[in-house]
Amino acid sequence: MSKEQMTTTADDAIITVRNLSKYFDDFEALRDITLDVKRSEVLCLIGPSGSGKSTLLRCLNFLEQYDGGEVHLDGELIGWQDISHNPRKPLSGEALRKQRQHIGMVFQHFHLWPHMSALDNVAEALTSVKKLSKKKAKEAAMAALTKVHLEDKAENYPANLSGGQQQRVAIARAIAMEPQVMLFDEPTSALDPELVGEVLSVMKDLAAEGMTMVVVTHEMGFAAHVADRVAFLDSGRLVTCVPPEEMFGREPDDARVRSFLQTYRERNVV
Amino acid sequence: METELFVRYGPALLYGFGITILCWLAGSIGGVIVGFILACLNRWGPHALSWVIYVYVEIIRGTPFMIQLFILYYGGPYIGLVLSPVQAGITSFVVYGSPYFAEIFRSGFNAIPKGQIEAARCVGMPETRILWRIILPQMLVPITAPLTNFFIILTKETAILSVVTVPELLFQTQTMAAETFTFVEPFLALSLFYWLMVLVTGWIGAKVEQRVTRHLKRA
Repeated sequence: MSKEQMTTTADDAIITVRNLSKYFDDFEALRDITLDVKRSEVLCLIGPSGSGKSTLLRCLNFLEQYDGGEVHLDGELIGWQDISHNPRKPLSGEALRKQRQHIGMVFQHFHLWPHMSALDNVAEALTSVKKLSKKKAKEAAMAALTKVHLEDKAENYPANLSGGQQQRVAIARAIAMEPQVMLFDEPTSALDPELVGEVLSVMKDLAAEGMTMVVVTHEMGFAAHVADRVAFLDSGRLVTCVPPEEMFGREPDDARVRSFLQTYRERNVV
Repeated sequence: METELFVRYGPALLYGFGITILCWLAGSIGGVIVGFILACLNRWGPHALSWVIYVYVEIIRGTPFMIQLFILYYGGPYIGLVLSPVQAGITSFVVYGSPYFAEIFRSGFNAIPKGQIEAARCVGMPETRILWRIILPQMLVPITAPLTNFFIILTKETAILSVVTVPELLFQTQTMAAETFTFVEPFLALSLFYWLMVLVTGWIGAKVEQRVTRHLKRA
């Protein structure tokens, strides 16, 4: 991509995705995705299973190596050393780790480290990556846990926390690193309906504080009320990316979007 | 039962027990270290190396310990490797044990959910730190029992070292039996010594298991 394109699109975009493609062997998981995320924006990715939402999200922090196109965070190419060179060469482990520190990630199944207390889960990277002293790390970890209203569960092991609490610890673990953007991969899909609310409310707080967020979700209510824009993916393609009022407020033009949202309408979700 | 025999042969038996423990501890700890390195190389090293490791594991696991010991002790000098019986005993223990330990560690690595490792990468943790802080402490849970088991098996494998004249427990017991024409007493003593080793090993294993599974207990 040329320099002037960068500057014209990057006015206040923090993530720019250009012509992104990704293959799993012969399967085309993502085709030619182009998308911007602005600073402090909340972007929700919706779509049917297997449509590439999670793959797209995982390309943003290079958990998946994308094959074509570019992902930039704050102007910096993610994952690859330089894309003019063919085949592409990935960044060194050290450089990739630097980039990932700016990108927080929350998973569907939490992926807490079960042998560490909630506090240690949050403090671990603060000592080992940010090189804070033990004391400073504990304080910062406690502050992050307080943000997700779990200060009284700091000493609990994950096995002694509910799913909603575990996911909130996972959010605290990510935000303690003070990332520029947060990625959420179906953060409430593994939770009892009763526990979904507490996680969504923490996410709303984050959004209100101005955190840039990309959220893969099936929670249409969250998408409708919290997102600034909603992107619909189908078969690895970006079908549309519009404000929620347009996505949910009127009958969508695209037949695939219409039939997808219909299933939610029938359940009175949106 | 002639208890007087034990007074006479007690020092020799105790010396043999000492040699047995030396060979067993040095050999199996060496085996653990080499096995761990093999498992790490297999997982993180270049692909070609994992083939070499695979062949090594298959050969050592596929041949009897006694043959390996013979080859090392009697064959070694042909390639300039002259070892004392005890040195040969410890070295062959390391060679014999390491593939089994490597396999135990391999299964341990595989027992850690991939998502936990991804989560660690997402906060920028280096791979070595992930190994020490995330993988190792957790893999102790599934591997403690098989490790303890193999340590126990190895206690008794030390008896084979007597064939290359390592003055270990069985060697001393046989000497005692041959010199005194008694069999019940020496071999009873021998069994008690092994049983003591197995008992202590099992007890330590259980303690370690208790300790490493702390976090799994629900409050």
